[in-house]
Amino acid sequence: MSKVNFDDFLKEELAKPSKVAPSRDLWPGIERAIAEPPKSSINDRQYWPKVTGIAACFIAGLLAWNVSVMRPEQNTMRDLSALFEQQKQALLVQYEAQPALTNDWQQQLDELEQAEQAVKLALQNDPENAALLKMLAQVYQQQLDLINRVHAPSWQQI
Amino acid sequence: MLIDAKQAFSNTNKDEQADDLVHKVQQGDQAAFAQLYRQHEKPVFALCLRLLADQQHAEDVTQEVFVQLWYKISQFQGQSKFSTWLHSVTSNIAISYLRKHKNWLQKVVSFEQSGMDEQSLAMCNGLNGLDKLILRLPERARLVFVLHAVEGYRHEEIGNMLGMAVGSSKSQYHRARQLLQEWYEHE
Repeated sequence: MSKVNFDDFLKEELAKPSKVAPSRDLWPGIERAIAEPPKSSINDRQYWPKVTGIAACFIAGLLAWNVSVMRPEQNTMRDLSALFEQQKQALLVQYEAQPALTNDWQQQLDELEQAEQAVKLALQNDPENAALLKMLAQVYQQQLDLINRVHAPSWQQI
Repeated sequence: MLIDAKQAFSNTNKDEQADDLVHKVQQGDQAAFAQLYRQHEKPVFALCLRLLADQQHAEDVTQEVFVQLWYKISQFQGQSKFSTWLHSVTSNIAISYLRKHKNWLQKVVSFEQSGMDEQSLAMCNGLNGLDKLILRLPERARLVFVLHAVEGYRHEEIGNMLGMAVGSSKSQYHRARQLLQEWYEHE
Protein backbone atom coordinates (compact mmCIF):
# COMPACT_ATOMS: atom_id res chain seq x y z
CA MET A 1 0.00 0.00 0.00
CA SER A 2 1.40 3.40 -0.93
CA LYS A 3 1.83 6.19 1.57
CA VAL A 4 -0.53 9.16 1.57
CA ASN A 5 1.14 12.28 0.25
CA PHE A 6 2.83 14.58 2.75
CA ASP A 7 0.25 17.39 2.60
CA ASP A 8 -2.61 14.98 3.34
CA PHE A 9 -0.59 13.35 6.13
CA LEU A 10 0.02 16.79 7.66
CA LYS A 11 -3.65 17.76 7.40
CA GLU A 12 -4.84 14.50 8.97
CA GLU A 13 -2.33 14.54 11.81
CA LEU A 14 -2.92 18.21 12.67
CA ALA A 15 -6.66 17.55 12.93
CA LYS A 16 -6.16 14.78 15.50
CA PRO A 17 -6.02 15.65 19.20
CA SER A 18 -2.68 14.71 20.74
CA LYS A 19 -2.89 11.84 23.21
CA VAL A 20 0.55 12.28 24.70
CA ALA A 21 0.53 12.39 28.51
CA PRO A 22 3.12 13.26 31.16
CA SER A 23 5.08 10.33 32.60
CA ARG A 24 4.07 11.23 36.17
CA ASP A 25 1.14 12.77 37.99
CA LEU A 26 1.82 16.52 37.98
CA TRP A 27 -1.19 17.49 40.10
CA PRO A 28 0.33 16.92 43.62
CA GLY A 29 3.11 19.41 42.80
CA ILE A 30 0.65 21.97 41.46
CA GLU A 31 -1.65 21.49 44.45
CA ARG A 32 1.22 22.06 46.87
CA ALA A 33 2.47 25.10 44.97
CA ILE A 34 -0.93 26.82 44.91
CA ALA A 35 -1.49 26.07 48.60
CA GLU A 36 1.50 28.31 49.42
CA PRO A 37 1.43 32.03 48.73
CA PRO A 38 3.77 33.11 45.89
CA LYS A 39 7.34 33.09 47.24
CA SER A 40 9.15 36.37 47.70
CA SER A 41 12.38 34.59 46.72
CA ILE A 42 11.24 34.86 43.09
CA ASN A 43 13.48 37.92 42.80
CA ASP A 44 16.48 35.84 43.88
CA ARG A 45 15.62 33.26 41.24
CA GLN A 46 15.50 35.99 38.60
CA TYR A 47 18.69 37.58 39.88
CA TRP A 48 21.00 34.57 39.67
CA PRO A 49 20.44 33.67 36.00
CA LYS A 50 21.21 37.32 35.15
CA VAL A 51 24.43 37.21 37.16
CA THR A 52 25.52 33.91 35.59
CA GLY A 53 24.51 35.20 32.13
CA ILE A 54 26.61 38.35 32.57
CA ALA A 55 29.48 36.25 33.90
CA ALA A 56 29.22 33.89 30.90
CA CYS A 57 29.27 36.83 28.44
CA PHE A 58 32.23 38.40 30.26
CA ILE A 59 34.17 35.12 30.23
CA ALA A 60 33.28 34.56 26.58
CA GLY A 61 34.55 38.04 25.69
CA LEU A 62 37.70 37.44 27.68
CA LEU A 63 38.20 34.09 25.97
CA ALA A 64 37.63 35.57 22.53
CA TRP A 65 40.18 38.31 23.23
CA ASN A 66 42.59 35.82 24.74
CA VAL A 67 42.27 33.43 21.82
CA SER A 68 42.52 36.07 19.10
CA VAL A 69 45.11 38.39 20.62
CA MET A 70 47.14 36.48 23.15
CA ARG A 71 47.10 32.94 21.75
CA PRO A 72 46.60 32.69 18.06
CA GLU A 73 46.55 28.86 18.09
CA GLN A 74 43.02 27.41 18.43
CA ASN A 75 42.02 24.97 21.17
CA THR A 76 38.25 24.94 21.47
CA MET A 77 38.18 22.09 24.00
CA ARG A 78 40.43 24.00 26.41
CA ASP A 79 38.36 27.19 26.04
CA LEU A 80 35.05 25.34 26.53
CA SER A 81 36.43 23.52 29.55
CA ALA A 82 37.67 26.75 31.13
CA LEU A 83 34.28 28.40 30.57
CA PHE A 84 32.47 25.39 31.97
CA GLU A 85 34.67 25.19 35.09
CA GLN A 86 33.91 28.85 35.87
CA GLN A 87 30.16 28.20 35.53
CA LYS A 88 30.28 25.02 37.58
CA GLN A 89 32.26 26.61 40.42
CA ALA A 90 29.90 29.62 40.45
CA LEU A 91 26.90 27.29 40.78
CA LEU A 92 28.52 25.18 43.51
CA VAL A 93 29.34 28.33 45.50
CA GLN A 94 25.79 29.63 44.92
CA TYR A 95 24.25 26.42 46.27
CA GLU A 96 26.85 25.79 49.00
CA ALA A 97 24.53 26.55 51.90
CA GLN A 98 21.49 24.92 50.29
CA PRO A 99 20.77 21.23 50.98
CA ALA A 100 20.48 19.01 47.90
CA LEU A 101 17.13 17.32 47.27
CA THR A 102 18.68 13.91 46.52
CA ASN A 103 21.55 12.06 48.17
CA ASP A 104 23.07 10.45 45.12
CA TRP A 105 23.65 13.56 43.03
CA GLN A 106 27.42 13.48 43.64
CA GLN A 107 27.48 9.95 42.23
CA GLN A 108 25.51 11.12 39.18
CA LEU A 109 27.97 13.99 38.79
CA ASP A 110 30.90 11.53 38.99
CA GLU A 111 29.34 9.50 36.17
CA LEU A 112 28.99 12.61 34.01
CA GLU A 113 32.59 13.56 34.80
CA GLN A 114 33.69 10.11 33.60
CA ALA A 115 31.79 10.71 30.35
CA GLU A 116 33.51 14.11 30.08
CA GLN A 117 36.94 12.46 30.43
CA ALA A 118 36.09 9.89 27.74
CA VAL A 119 35.07 12.61 25.26
CA LYS A 120 38.19 14.66 26.11
CA LEU A 121 40.34 11.61 25.43
CA ALA A 122 38.75 11.23 22.00
CA LEU A 123 39.27 14.95 21.34
CA GLN A 124 43.00 14.61 21.95
CA ASN A 125 43.21 12.65 18.69
CA ASP A 126 40.91 14.99 16.78
CA PRO A 127 40.87 18.36 18.62
CA GLU A 128 38.47 20.28 16.36
CA ASN A 129 35.97 17.49 15.66
CA ALA A 130 32.60 19.31 15.76
CA ALA A 131 30.57 16.24 16.78
CA LEU A 132 32.88 15.50 19.72
CA LEU A 133 32.91 19.16 20.78
CA LYS A 134 29.11 19.18 20.71
CA MET A 135 29.08 15.98 22.78
CA LEU A 136 31.43 17.58 25.31
CA ALA A 137 29.20 20.66 25.48
CA GLN A 138 26.18 18.42 26.11
CA VAL A 139 27.96 16.56 28.94
CA TYR A 140 28.88 19.93 30.47
CA GLN A 141 25.29 21.10 30.13
CA GLN A 142 24.03 17.92 31.82
CA GLN A 143 26.36 18.57 34.76
CA LEU A 144 25.05 22.15 35.16
CA ASP A 145 21.44 20.95 34.80
CA LEU A 146 22.03 18.30 37.48
CA ILE A 147 23.49 20.82 39.94
CA ASN A 148 20.62 23.23 39.29
CA ARG A 149 17.95 20.55 39.44
CA VAL A 150 18.96 19.10 42.80
CA HIS A 151 19.20 22.54 44.37
CA ALA A 152 16.57 24.65 42.58
CA PRO A 153 13.88 25.73 45.05
CA SER A 154 10.85 25.55 42.75
CA TRP A 155 7.91 23.22 42.35
CA GLN A 156 9.86 21.45 39.66
CA GLN A 157 11.02 18.94 42.25
CA ILE A 158 7.75 18.58 44.14
CA MET B 1 -30.16 17.84 10.13
CA LEU B 2 -31.28 16.26 13.40
CA ILE B 3 -27.72 15.08 14.05
CA ASP B 4 -26.39 18.59 13.40
CA ALA B 5 -28.88 20.07 15.85
CA LYS B 6 -27.94 17.46 18.46
CA GLN B 7 -24.27 18.16 17.91
CA ALA B 8 -24.82 21.91 18.18
CA PHE B 9 -26.76 21.44 21.43
CA SER B 10 -24.04 19.19 22.82
CA ASN B 11 -21.32 21.74 21.92
CA THR B 12 -23.26 24.61 23.50
CA ASN B 13 -23.78 22.51 26.58
CA LYS B 14 -20.07 21.70 26.77
CA ASP B 15 -19.13 25.38 26.36
CA GLU B 16 -21.53 26.36 29.14
CA GLN B 17 -20.08 23.69 31.42
CA ALA B 18 -16.55 24.88 30.64
CA ASP B 19 -17.52 28.51 31.36
CA ASP B 20 -19.10 27.44 34.63
CA LEU B 21 -15.94 25.57 35.66
CA VAL B 22 -13.71 28.55 34.84
CA HIS B 23 -16.05 30.83 36.79
CA LYS B 24 -15.81 28.54 39.83
CA VAL B 25 -11.99 28.56 39.61
CA GLN B 26 -12.05 32.37 39.37
CA GLN B 27 -13.96 32.32 42.67
CA GLY B 28 -11.09 30.29 44.25
CA ASP B 29 -12.65 26.80 44.04
CA GLN B 30 -9.72 24.35 44.23
CA ALA B 31 -11.84 21.28 43.46
CA ALA B 32 -12.99 22.97 40.23
CA PHE B 33 -9.36 23.80 39.46
CA ALA B 34 -8.42 20.12 39.84
CA GLN B 35 -11.19 19.28 37.36
CA LEU B 36 -10.00 22.00 34.99
CA TYR B 37 -6.47 20.60 35.25
CA ARG B 38 -7.64 17.09 34.34
CA GLN B 39 -9.50 18.45 31.30
CA HIS B 40 -6.58 20.44 29.94
CA GLU B 41 -3.54 18.55 31.22
CA LYS B 42 -2.90 16.55 28.03
CA PRO B 43 -3.20 19.35 25.43
CA VAL B 44 -1.08 21.68 27.58
CA PHE B 45 1.58 19.00 28.07
CA ALA B 46 1.52 18.14 24.36
CA LEU B 47 2.10 21.78 23.43
CA CYS B 48 4.94 22.09 25.96
CA LEU B 49 6.53 18.90 24.65
CA ARG B 50 6.29 20.07 21.04
CA LEU B 51 7.87 23.42 21.89
CA LEU B 52 10.56 22.17 24.27
CA ALA B 53 11.32 18.69 22.84
CA ASP B 54 12.24 17.47 26.30
CA GLN B 55 9.89 15.39 28.43
CA GLN B 56 11.26 16.51 31.81
CA HIS B 57 11.22 20.19 30.87
CA ALA B 58 7.74 19.82 29.35
CA GLU B 59 6.47 18.36 32.63
CA ASP B 60 8.09 21.16 34.64
CA VAL B 61 6.56 23.82 32.37
CA THR B 62 3.13 22.15 32.46
CA GLN B 63 3.25 22.48 36.26
CA GLU B 64 4.37 26.09 35.95
CA VAL B 65 1.51 26.84 33.52
CA PHE B 66 -1.13 25.54 35.93
CA VAL B 67 0.42 27.25 38.95
CA GLN B 68 0.46 30.56 37.06
CA LEU B 69 -3.06 29.85 35.79
CA TRP B 70 -4.32 29.62 39.38
CA TYR B 71 -3.00 33.08 40.13
CA LYS B 72 -3.87 34.68 36.77
CA ILE B 73 -7.19 33.12 35.82
CA SER B 74 -8.98 36.32 36.86
CA GLN B 75 -7.37 37.92 33.77
CA PHE B 76 -9.47 35.64 31.53
CA GLN B 77 -12.38 37.81 30.43
CA GLY B 78 -14.14 35.28 28.20
CA GLN B 79 -13.38 37.15 24.96
CA SER B 80 -12.05 33.94 23.40
CA LYS B 81 -12.53 30.26 24.18
CA PHE B 82 -10.79 29.31 27.44
CA SER B 83 -8.74 26.59 25.69
CA THR B 84 -7.48 29.16 23.13
CA TRP B 85 -6.46 31.54 25.92
CA LEU B 86 -4.79 28.71 27.85
CA HIS B 87 -2.79 27.68 24.77
CA SER B 88 -1.56 31.25 24.35
CA VAL B 89 -0.55 31.41 28.05
CA THR B 90 1.21 28.04 27.64
CA SER B 91 3.11 29.14 24.53
CA ASN B 92 4.35 32.29 26.26
CA ILE B 93 5.46 30.45 29.40
CA ALA B 94 7.23 27.73 27.38
CA ILE B 95 9.07 30.28 25.22
CA SER B 96 10.06 32.29 28.28
CA TYR B 97 11.29 29.05 29.93
CA LEU B 98 13.35 28.23 26.84
CA ARG B 99 14.91 31.68 26.93
CA LYS B 100 15.75 31.44 30.64
CA HIS B 101 17.13 27.93 30.39
CA LYS B 102 18.99 28.47 27.16
CA ASN B 103 22.05 26.32 27.12
CA TRP B 104 24.90 28.40 28.54
CA LEU B 105 27.04 27.37 25.60
CA GLN B 106 24.40 28.51 23.11
CA LYS B 107 24.79 31.99 24.57
CA VAL B 108 28.44 32.13 23.62
CA VAL B 109 28.94 29.51 20.91
CA SER B 110 26.61 29.13 17.93
CA PHE B 111 25.46 25.55 18.47
CA GLU B 112 21.89 25.18 17.35
CA GLN B 113 19.96 22.97 19.74
CA SER B 114 19.05 19.79 17.89
CA GLY B 115 15.79 17.94 18.34
CA MET B 116 15.06 14.86 20.45
CA ASP B 117 17.13 11.74 19.86
CA GLU B 118 15.64 8.31 19.05
CA GLN B 119 16.08 7.04 22.63
CA SER B 120 14.20 9.97 24.20
CA LEU B 121 11.48 9.71 21.56
CA ALA B 122 10.96 6.05 22.41
CA MET B 123 10.37 7.01 26.06
CA CYS B 124 7.43 9.32 25.24
CA ASN B 125 4.14 7.42 25.21
CA GLY B 126 1.28 8.31 22.90
CA LEU B 127 3.19 10.32 20.30
CA ASN B 128 1.49 10.33 16.92
CA GLY B 129 3.40 10.11 13.65
CA LEU B 130 3.70 13.86 13.14
CA ASP B 131 4.77 14.53 16.75
CA LYS B 132 7.57 12.01 16.37
CA LEU B 133 8.86 14.01 13.41
CA ILE B 134 8.28 17.46 14.94
CA LEU B 135 10.34 16.54 18.00
CA ARG B 136 13.32 15.71 15.80
CA LEU B 137 13.40 19.22 14.29
CA PRO B 138 16.12 21.69 15.29
CA GLU B 139 14.91 24.22 17.85
CA ARG B 140 14.10 27.32 15.76
CA ALA B 141 12.45 25.37 12.96
CA ARG B 142 10.43 23.39 15.51
CA LEU B 143 9.22 26.47 17.41
CA VAL B 144 8.10 28.23 14.25
CA PHE B 145 6.41 25.14 12.84
CA VAL B 146 4.50 24.40 16.05
CA LEU B 147 3.41 28.02 16.52
CA HIS B 148 2.36 28.49 12.89
CA ALA B 149 1.08 25.13 11.68
CA VAL B 150 -0.23 23.68 14.94
CA GLU B 151 -1.20 26.72 17.01
CA GLY B 152 -2.21 28.99 14.13
CA TYR B 153 -0.08 32.07 14.91
CA ARG B 154 0.82 34.43 12.05
CA HIS B 155 4.48 34.92 11.15
CA GLU B 156 4.29 38.54 12.42
CA GLU B 157 3.13 37.27 15.82
CA ILE B 158 5.79 34.55 15.85
CA GLY B 159 8.44 37.14 15.02
CA ASN B 160 7.42 39.14 18.09
CA MET B 161 7.20 36.10 20.34
CA LEU B 162 10.58 34.69 19.34
CA GLY B 163 12.38 37.95 18.67
CA MET B 164 13.08 37.17 15.02
CA ALA B 165 12.32 38.88 11.70
CA VAL B 166 9.16 37.88 9.84
CA GLY B 167 11.34 36.64 6.96
CA SER B 168 13.31 34.40 9.34
CA SER B 169 10.08 32.96 10.70
CA LYS B 170 8.93 32.16 7.16
CA SER B 171 12.24 30.60 6.19
CA GLN B 172 12.35 28.51 9.38
CA TYR B 173 8.83 27.29 8.62
CA HIS B 174 9.89 26.36 5.10
CA ARG B 175 12.96 24.58 6.47
CA ALA B 176 10.81 22.66 8.99
CA ARG B 177 8.35 21.55 6.31
CA GLN B 178 11.17 20.39 4.06
CA LEU B 179 12.78 18.36 6.84
CA LEU B 180 9.45 16.86 7.91
CA GLN B 181 8.61 15.89 4.32
CA GLU B 182 12.04 14.38 3.76
CA TRP B 183 11.81 12.31 6.98
CA TYR B 184 8.21 11.30 6.26
CA GLU B 185 9.02 10.11 2.74
CA HIS B 186 12.11 8.17 3.84
CA GLU B 187 10.48 6.53 6.88
